[in-house]
Amino acid sequence: MPELPDWFRPVAEYMLREGLPETLRLAAIAVTASAVIGVLLGTLMTIKFRPLQWLIRLYIEVWRGLPILVMVLFIYWLPDYRVGPFHIQLNAYMSAAVALSLWGSAQVAEATRGAVQSIPKEQHEAAAALGFGWVGRHSFVIVPQALRRLLPPMVSLLVNIIQNTTIAFVIGVNEFLQSGNRQFENLTTQTGNGHPFTIFGFVLVVFFAISFPLTLLARYLERRLV
Amino acid sequence: MRILASFEWSFIWDNREQLWEGFKNTIKAAAIGIAGSFAIGLVLGAVRAHRIPVLSQLAVVYVEVIRNTPILVQIFLLYYGAPELGFHFETFTVAWLAITIWGGAFNTENFRAGFEAVPKRLREAGYALGFSPFKTFLNVTLPIGGRIALPSSINTYISVLKNTSLMLVIGYPELTSVASNIQAITFRTFEMFTILAIAYLVIVWTLSGLIRLLEARLALPERL
Repeated sequence: MPELPDWFRPVAEYMLREGLPETLRLAAIAVTASAVIGVLLGTLMTIKFRPLQWLIRLYIEVWRGLPILVMVLFIYWLPDYRVGPFHIQLNAYMSAAVALSLWGSAQVAEATRGAVQSIPKEQHEAAAALGFGWVGRHSFVIVPQALRRLLPPMVSLLVNIIQNTTIAFVIGVNEFLQSGNRQFENLTTQTGNGHPFTIFGFVLVVFFAISFPLTLLARYLERRLV
Repeated sequence: MRILASFEWSFIWDNREQLWEGFKNTIKAAAIGIAGSFAIGLVLGAVRAHRIPVLSQLAVVYVEVIRNTPILVQIFLLYYGAPELGFHFETFTVAWLAITIWGGAFNTENFRAGFEAVPKRLREAGYALGFSPFKTFLNVTLPIGGRIALPSSINTYISVLKNTSLMLVIGYPELTSVASNIQAITFRTFEMFTILAIAYLVIVWTLSGLIRLLEARLALPERL
């Protein structure tokens, strides 16, 4: 194994201690919110009520159509506002989380709609025959089966969201790329050599080490479940 | 509601020249990126589908590395990292190069899947007619596989276009960074977001509408 240069150890330790947890936490928040909102909207979209379908379709197409960066900036720029007694002012971290969740929930909603519709109508009929109403039918029979098919796209979404958390860099969130950039700038001012290739190469390698196994998992699940 | 009442269209009109410049820069980078990722996808997709030794394995490494790392980190490596190795790129070069490399990786997968979906017996029919492997690819695999790959590759082009917005971090004056600069000076958040949303959604929705149109026009006969 090649000898690591002296400067590298503290830099890498800072990045892994400060930046990486922030990235993973942001991704966890965004994925959870995306899954909950997306499954709900995607299921509601299968109701044959045109205005509701159009509304959810608009939600999906807008948040999927905009660059995530534009959404992150917009939410971050928003002036503080009041909702009833609450005074809302999102900080950079929450702005990024909200923007990623809007984007992710649009992806999940589209996938859920397909998965729910792919459940054969006999399942609906059988559940109805057992006396379930719409809510019961969907929460105990249809959606649990659809979730199985949703698992591979959910893992892919996780990979995408982990990578897109780097966009929070732009509004100053100290996620993994930002932590690397700060070390790069520190080194540049202190020693004149910021080692950008090594630092950003390290960022790349760490992201790959996290994403690639998940990508393989998504592919494996797709083969197993479909 | 106070916010909506103070919305001023004239503000967008007053900044139309800057915004138009930004829009043109976005289109410029995106056009090169789309053309480049089409070329890379076509060649490497064919290499992957035909399992050409060595090249095919190299293509896998390229595709997996690009697809499993954030494009923002790739931009940083090109912009800040490459000079350390002796490659100095201009801002515009990084702008189109980064999205080309990124889109090329996704397109390789699209075209590979398209080419592999062409039934083997159609290629065999090509050989039986005396076509060389290259001619068979050109006359049989490409027209059929290309059609199959078309919807997913247009989706990749849409993403390539949206990714031009990330060039804000390296100071390439495309639409998002122009709007962001104007917002920083004037705090006209809603006006700037509205113009960004309209610009991106019009292009993206046009392209995705094109997918549906082409799908119907270029649909293959049911039984291949």
